[in-house]
Amino acid sequence: MRRLADVLEDWEAVIGLEVHTALTTLETKMLCGCRLSHDDEPNANVCPICLGMPGALPVPNEKAIESIVMAGLATNCEVMRRSMFYRKHYFYPDMAKNFQTTQGPVAFVMHGHLDLEVSGEGACERLGATVDKRPDGSYVAPIRILRIHMEEDAAKMNHLGGAEGRIGGASESLIDYNRCGTPLIELVTEPDLRTPEEARLFMEKLRQTFLALGISDCSMEKGSMRCDGNVSLRRRGDTHFGTKTELKNLNSFKSLHDALAYEICRQAEVLEEGGAVRQETRHWEPSRRRTVVMRVKETADDYRFFPDPDLAPFDLSDEFVERCRARMPELPDARRDRYMTTWGLRRLDAEKLVADPATASFFEAVAAQVEPSVMPTLVNVMVNLVPAFAALDEAQVASVSGLLAEDALTFAQAREVFELVDGTDADPVRVVDERGMRQSTDADALGAIVDEVLERCESQVQQYHDGNEKVVGFLVGQCMRASKGSGNPKMFNQLLVRRLEA
Amino acid sequence: MPLTREDVAGIAAYARIALTDVELDEMTAYMNDAIALLDPIIDYDLDGVEPTFHPTGDLANVVREDTVVAGLSLEEALANAASIRGRSFRVPAILAVGGSA
Amino acid sequence: MMGSLDALSARQIATGVTRGDFSATEVAQASLDAIASRDGKTQAFLQVSEELALAAAARTDAARAAGERLGPLAGVPVAFKDNMNLVGTRTTCASRMLEPYESAYTATCVQRMLDAGATPLGKLNMDEFAFGSTTDSSAFHPTNNPWDLTRVPGGSSGGSAAAVTAGEVTLALGSDTGGSIRQPASLCGVVGMKPSYGVVSRYGVVAFGSSLDQVGPIGRRVEDVALAMNALTAGGRDRLDATSRDCTQDYLAHLEDPIEGRAVGVIPALLEAEGLAPEVRSAIERAAHKLADAGARIMEVDLPNMASSIAAYYVLASCEAFSNLARFDGVRYGYQEPGCATLAEQSSLSRAHGFGPEAKRRQMLGAYLLSSGVYERYYLAAQKVRTLITADYQRAFAQVDAILMPASPTVAWEHGAISDPAALYLADVYTISNNIAGNCGISVPVGLGTDSGMPIGAQLQGPTFADASLLTFARALERACDMEGVVAPAFVGKGGEL
Repeated sequence: MRRLADVLEDWEAVIGLEVHTALTTLETKMLCGCRLSHDDEPNANVCPICLGMPGALPVPNEKAIESIVMAGLATNCEVMRRSMFYRKHYFYPDMAKNFQTTQGPVAFVMHGHLDLEVSGEGACERLGATVDKRPDGSYVAPIRILRIHMEEDAAKMNHLGGAEGRIGGASESLIDYNRCGTPLIELVTEPDLRTPEEARLFMEKLRQTFLALGISDCSMEKGSMRCDGNVSLRRRGDTHFGTKTELKNLNSFKSLHDALAYEICRQAEVLEEGGAVRQETRHWEPSRRRTVVMRVKETADDYRFFPDPDLAPFDLSDEFVERCRARMPELPDARRDRYMTTWGLRRLDAEKLVADPATASFFEAVAAQVEPSVMPTLVNVMVNLVPAFAALDEAQVASVSGLLAEDALTFAQAREVFELVDGTDADPVRVVDERGMRQSTDADALGAIVDEVLERCESQVQQYHDGNEKVVGFLVGQCMRASKGSGNPKMFNQLLVRRLEA
Repeated sequence: MPLTREDVAGIAAYARIALTDVELDEMTAYMNDAIALLDPIIDYDLDGVEPTFHPTGDLANVVREDTVVAGLSLEEALANAASIRGRSFRVPAILAVGGSA
Repeated sequence: MMGSLDALSARQIATGVTRGDFSATEVAQASLDAIASRDGKTQAFLQVSEELALAAAARTDAARAAGERLGPLAGVPVAFKDNMNLVGTRTTCASRMLEPYESAYTATCVQRMLDAGATPLGKLNMDEFAFGSTTDSSAFHPTNNPWDLTRVPGGSSGGSAAAVTAGEVTLALGSDTGGSIRQPASLCGVVGMKPSYGVVSRYGVVAFGSSLDQVGPIGRRVEDVALAMNALTAGGRDRLDATSRDCTQDYLAHLEDPIEGRAVGVIPALLEAEGLAPEVRSAIERAAHKLADAGARIMEVDLPNMASSIAAYYVLASCEAFSNLARFDGVRYGYQEPGCATLAEQSSLSRAHGFGPEAKRRQMLGAYLLSSGVYERYYLAAQKVRTLITADYQRAFAQVDAILMPASPTVAWEHGAISDPAALYLADVYTISNNIAGNCGISVPVGLGTDSGMPIGAQLQGPTFADASLLTFARALERACDMEGVVAPAFVGKGGEL
C-alpha cells in the first residue's frame, strides 16, 4: 500500500466521527436510581428498571440532561427546546428491554461546531483550498457537529469458550447489567474532517472540553469515551461522496489516527485497482495494524423507532438552559487565551497546560504563589517535569521553580528533588540544604576552582586557543567535579570563558 | 398489496417468534385481515394535523434527582433467570459454529 | 356472626374492623372461605395468596390493638389482576411466558391499596397479557361469568370483574387499555372505573399499550370504587411513573352531590350503530331517562372521529405491545426454551412457545406497522387521529359534564361464540376512544337485559382529570337503577360468613 501522504495527494478523505461519552461523574444511571458502576462485581448495581423487569418504568436523571445541555453549549450547539426520547428496537440481550432508550430526529442539542487548530507535520496532510493556511502551514478547520443526543449504554457481555473473548467460536456468553442504563451522550459530526490528524485533534479537543465540564472521566482506555469513524475517498476536486466504511474499536487517539490512515490507504488501493469500496463495518486490529470486515451492511437496519410513551416530552425552559450555562466552567480555549495574555505563555505551552483541567487548576494555584519573574521557569517545570510525578503539592512546585529561577539548582537536580519530595510534605528548600545540593553562585569561591582547573588542564586550554571552543564543556565538567557538584555550571562557564579570553 | 408469506416470515425472524409452516399461513391471513381493518386510516384527511404522541397534555420535563436508590440484591436479580453462571445471566452461543446468528 | 361478607360495602368492612366489630383476620378468613366455595365455578383466581392475606390481616389487627390509626381500607379483601407485581406472588399475565415469574417488586397501585390497609387475597385471571375481551385467552383456564357460567365475564380484566361479582372479594384492581375494566364490569354487572390517564401510577403493572393503559378499581358499589380511588391516589404523583400526576383528593366528597341542571351528553349515531343489541340500546335509553328524572339535562353531542378510533387504536395498541413485549426473551426471567444451541434459537423458540396466539399476532402486527416506510402511514396517522379525537372530546365536554353510552354492544356471550380476532376488535368501539384521548370512564350496572337476563352496564365518560365529577354521575345513575351491591344470584351468601 502507498503512504498516506502520497495517497492524500490524489484522494481527498472525507471523515465523520461518532463519539460516545459515558456520563461517569453522575451518581446514578440514566433512567433509574442504580449507582453507576465502575469496577463492581457483576450485577451488583441493578434494579427492576435497568433489568427490564415486567412493569418497570423509566424516569430520566435530571443531572444527565443538564450534562448534555452543557456539552451542547460548550460545542456551540443550539439547545433544542422540544425533544423526546425514542425507543430503538433490536433483539440482543445486552439491552434488557430489547430496545434502547435514545432520541429521535430532534436531539437535546444540535448544529454546533468545534474549531480545530492544526499545525506542525499533520497540517501538511490537508491539501487544496479547503482552508486558509497561514504562512507556516498551520490552519483552523471548522468542524460542524450535527447533533448530540442522549441514550443508554448496553450491558457488558463476556463471551466464553472462544479465542480472546470474541463472539466467534464462543460457546456461551455471560451478561452483566451493571453498565446497562449508564447515560451516554453520542456526538455526531458532519463529514468535515479530512485527515487522520484532524480526527485525532478533534477527539482530543472534545475530550478536553468534556473533562473541563466535569461530565465524564473521558477515559478511552476504560471505554467511557468511545469513537467510531466513517471514512470515504473521492478524487481531488470531486464533490460527490464515495462509499464509506465504518470503523470500530478506535479506543485510543493512536488507534483512531492509525485506523483512519490505514483505511484511507486501503480504500485508495481498492479504487486504484479498479475495485469498489463496499459499505461495511470494519474492526481495527491494533496488534496487526489493519482493519478487518466485521459485517457487510446489505440493507439499512430497521430499528422500529417511535417516541417512548413512558417518557413525557421535554420542553426545556430558558431558565433551565441559563442555569446550565451558569454552571459551565471556563473552557480550554478561553483558558489557553487567558494564559497567553495574562502570563505571556507560548500557545503550545498554554495548550498543554489546559488539556487537563486538574493540571490547569494546579498550575494556576502555583502561579499565584510565585513572583512574575519565576513564571517562565514555572511553565517549563509544569510542562517538562511535573507530569512525571504523581503527588507533588503546589508549594513544592513553587519552591523548586524558585530555586531553579535563581540558578540554585540544575534541571537535573530539580528532578532529583521532586523524586525525594513526591508524595511527602517535605519542604524542597530544606531537602536541598540538608543534602548540600544548593549550587554556589559565589564568584570568588567558584573563581578559585576555575583557576585550579585551568592550571591542571594545560592541553585543553591550548586546544581552546587553537579554536576548539567545545573544550569548554570538558572544563565545566572538571569544575563541577572539583566542586563536588555544588557549583553552578552556568557560572563556571561564564568564569571559564572570561579567563580564557582574557 | 397484501403481505406475502415471505414478508411475514421476515417479520417473525426480526421479532424473534419462530412459526411453524401452518402458523405462518395462519399469521399471514391474520396480518392481512388486520391490516384491512386498519387501512382506512391511510385515507383519513390528516393534512395539517399534528400527532399527539403522549396523552399527557402539557406534561413535560419529568425528571428525577440524581440520587442513588437501593436496587435488587444479586439473589433477587438472578432469582427469575432460567440460566445463570456465577453472578451473571447466561445465554448460549451468539454465533452458530461456522455461521452467523 | 354478622352474616355474609358479600353483603358488606368496603366502607362497612373498614369501619367494622376499625371499631372492632370483627377482626381483619375474620374478614380475610371469610373472603378465603368465599373463594374456596365459589371460585371453583368462576375460576376468577390464578393464585390465592392465603399467607399474604392472613399476614396482612394480622398486621392490621395488631395495629388496631396497638392503638394505631387504621387506613380507610382496613381489612378490605382486595385482589389484583395478574399483570400487577406483588412481592410474594407470581405475576403471570395469564401467560406461559411468565408462568414461573416471581414478582421482583411491588407495583405502586398494589402498594397503595396495601398502605390503605387492604388485605391482598391473590391474583386474578385475565386475557393473556391483556389482549382480549373474553378472558378466554388465559393460558391457564377461562373464567366464567358468575351470572351464567357458560358465558364469558368479558375481558381482559375478566377475573377481576368475576371475583367481585361472585362476592369472592370486595374490591379488585384491573387495567384498561381499550375497555378492559369497563367492558367486563358491564358484562358482569359491577362498577368498573378507568381513571384519566396519569391519575393512577402504572409502575409495576406489566405494560401492554403504555400510552393507553390505566389501572382502576372494580367494585359492587360506586362508593367502593371511590374509596379505592382515594387509596390509589393517596401520596400524590408516583415518582416512579413519569406520566403520573398528583390527583390526590377525596373522591367520596362529591358522590352524593345532586346532578340537577348538569348536562349529560348522548351520541345518537352510536345508539343507531349496527351491532348494538336492542336490549343494550333500550337499557342505555332507560338510563338516560333516569338521569333526566334526577334532574340532568340530556343533550345530544357528537364525537365525529369516533369511527376512526378502531383503526387508530389497533395501530397504537399493537405497536406499543410489540415494543413492550420485546423484553420477554427468556434471558432474565420467564419461559426459556431448553437445549438451544444459539441465542437466536433460544429467543425465537422461547417466544414462540411462551406466548399464546393473540400475543404473537399483536406483536407481529406491531413489528410490521413500525417498520420503516410503514410507520408513517399507520403509526404517525394514528397519533394524528389521536389529536382529532382528543379535540372532539374537548368540544363535547365544553357542552356537557359527562357522556352516556354503552360499554359493550352486547351482553356477555357464550364461551367460544366469537372466534375471529378481527371481529372481536370491532366490539371495542365504545371504549377505545376514551383510552386514545386519556379521559376518564366508568361502567355502572343499570339493569338486566330484557332478552338475555344478563347484566348491562352503562358507560359514563368525563373530561380528563374530572374523575371525581364522573363519580358523582355514576353514583346518581346507581341510585336510580337499583343495582347497588348486587352479587350474582347463584353466589349470594354461599360461603364467606363473617
